[in-house]
Amino acid sequence: MPKLTINGQAVEVPAGTNLIEAARKVGVEVPHYCYHPALSIAGQCRLCMVDIEKTPRPTIACNTPASDGMVVWTETDRVKETRKSIMEFHLINHPLDCPVCDQAGECWLQIYYMRYGLYDPRMRDEKVHKPKAVPLGPHVMLDAERCILCSRCVRFCDEVTGTGELGIFHRGDDSEIGLFPGKELVNKYSGNVVDICPVGALTDRDFRFAVRVWYLDSTASICPGCARGCNIEVHVNRRRPHHNEGRRVARLKPRFNADVNRWWICDDGRYGFTFVDDKTRLVAPSSREDGAVSDATWEEAIAAIVGALGRFAPAEIGVFASPKMANEDLWALRRVLEQCGIRRVAFRVPPPVPGDEDTLLIRSDKNPNSRGAELLGLDGDGAAILRAACVRQVKCLWVFGHDLLASAWDPAETDAALRALSLLIFIGTNSNATSERAQWVLPAAAWVEREGTYTNFEGRVQRFRQAVEPLGQALPEWDILGRVLQALGAEVGAPRAERWFRELTSGVPAFGGMSYQAIGDTGAVLNAPSAGQPRSEPASRTPLR
Amino acid sequence: MSASTVAFSDAQLAEVRRLQALYPDARAALLPVLHMAQETFGHISLEAEEYVAGLFDVTPAHVHEVVTFYTLFFRQPKGRHVVAVCHNLSCHLAGAPEIIAHVMRRLGIGVGATTDDGRVTLQAVECLCACEHAPMMQVDDRYEFGLTPEKVDQILEGLR
Ligand code: SF4
Ligand code: SF4
Repeated sequence: MPKLTINGQAVEVPAGTNLIEAARKVGVEVPHYCYHPALSIAGQCRLCMVDIEKTPRPTIACNTPASDGMVVWTETDRVKETRKSIMEFHLINHPLDCPVCDQAGECWLQIYYMRYGLYDPRMRDEKVHKPKAVPLGPHVMLDAERCILCSRCVRFCDEVTGTGELGIFHRGDDSEIGLFPGKELVNKYSGNVVDICPVGALTDRDFRFAVRVWYLDSTASICPGCARGCNIEVHVNRRRPHHNEGRRVARLKPRFNADVNRWWICDDGRYGFTFVDDKTRLVAPSSREDGAVSDATWEEAIAAIVGALGRFAPAEIGVFASPKMANEDLWALRRVLEQCGIRRVAFRVPPPVPGDEDTLLIRSDKNPNSRGAELLGLDGDGAAILRAACVRQVKCLWVFGHDLLASAWDPAETDAALRALSLLIFIGTNSNATSERAQWVLPAAAWVEREGTYTNFEGRVQRFRQAVEPLGQALPEWDILGRVLQALGAEVGAPRAERWFRELTSGVPAFGGMSYQAIGDTGAVLNAPSAGQPRSEPASRTPLR
Repeated sequence: MSASTVAFSDAQLAEVRRLQALYPDARAALLPVLHMAQETFGHISLEAEEYVAGLFDVTPAHVHEVVTFYTLFFRQPKGRHVVAVCHNLSCHLAGAPEIIAHVMRRLGIGVGATTDDGRVTLQAVECLCACEHAPMMQVDDRYEFGLTPEKVDQILEGLR
């Protein structure tokens, strides 16, 4: 392991570490554009110049491996002068777009110019003009004038997705990022090029002119889009709600987690949050009688559920838990089931078309918490529950979130099962064909409106936090179920997600010893035996007590 | 141009494979193969770029990068003769702008265009490594040095 000094600080790094990463280790930031730790070295932007003793000229740090005895200085007058010239060079043809550029406020041209810029520009020539506002695909917009030709986006498509759609065409000051004429940027990870573009050349069409980034607040969360559980930030526009037609969640951004998603998320996850502010959101408890829907209070709704749980024999009640519910919700549900002696429970509802999967991130299981639901012992036979409903063995069905009518199961049979029921209770965030058939519909808070944990397919338990208030009267499922338990006469502690999690950790050995604090921002892996392994065989199921 | 017109003969395909085998990274043969494509198809259309990409297992975007980078690849049908006037620094100082303006007047076309009769395509290009003879231009595969309007007229006269 080479030992070197950077700005007088000694540091030892693994062989092959480049000087940008070595400097990072001692808290020194070497400014750069084209270097990205996930991509190959391009050495294109020339901004990461540093001085190395016994080397005649400043050298690019990204392409220089640390070596033993190296003495590196990142802030010499010569380096500063070089940076200033390079910034000047990058801006020769850059348009004065900041006032209308979505990147403003998180743009590395702005940031580095403020730090190292020339402030007194010498360019008087007409700038070279290039295409602006060119949609590259469904998600990405290109402004070729703003591009500094760092080639990060090109390398991303070559090296990470392997799709190679982007190229740098022509040369000299005519060089221009683009697609092969007539093609589109449609790979499943296209949104990531917006994240890694250091400037405003690639921007998000979904975020275009939506809100200035400095009005956004950020909350650490987990993508609920599939079993991978990519780490994300939820960016919320609380301070200028009128800027985005009341859409509360402005965008989702990937959050680095070396063990889960590294720097990336897929497009389905990135743009999959629209249900949160959709018109189909359920905002108040309601009951339906003879086709007439009327709003109800939470007290009435809880009383109705508790009444049903008493009226039907436990064997006459079937429950569809959801793998989109958090561990906390599922634990609260399990306690209700145990309290009532209900054993007919399932959580898997096969989707009409099998989910897509790839080797990068995307999992075919489009639920964030199937592993948690398995570990909590809720993995029963859903089809059998519906069959039992058809023959009136099950008379009351309690569905969390699922649309049973939009599954791989025969819609006619499902329809017959639902028709045969005496009572259908639905709890979920949004209405669907199944909720339309329910006598009681209770609004659940969406994942950005509450906190909780999901267990990903590899057995990593990860926390998501509350970014916005629940819409209307919606409540987290653990809260609804806690109220039910209380009405059933059970002991229930303070209404906090964390308390339910603590209870879960003492009830399910795989979670033993975990805490919100230990999970932190990067997650914690379940206890052995199944810990940290991709599941190849069915996970051990904890039976209902 | 329809897709079927963009295809190498079996002998050419064998030549492609031979060229690819010459280099540690087969992509290095892209340039000679693009020259083959230009000679065979007259110019390198988008279809030809896609065709060549298929021969190299690279994406069409990367072939497009190479074709647009080099001025000697023609993406439109070119004239029977190509006149490429240097307008880089030395030639510029030695009067390239006047030379280019003169050629444009004589041929009645702009830079990048081809005369209606398909006789000449005019280009303005970067340094051709003959600064000592500025202003200069390349006509097909020969260099013409020390240009004056009179000399240019003479040269253009000779192009049939
Ligand atoms: S578009 Fe952005 S990421 Fe791509 S080369 Fe230009 S500046 Fe770099
Ligand atoms: S791979 Fe899965 S978890 Fe990651 S962003 Fe996509 S949907 Fe979300």
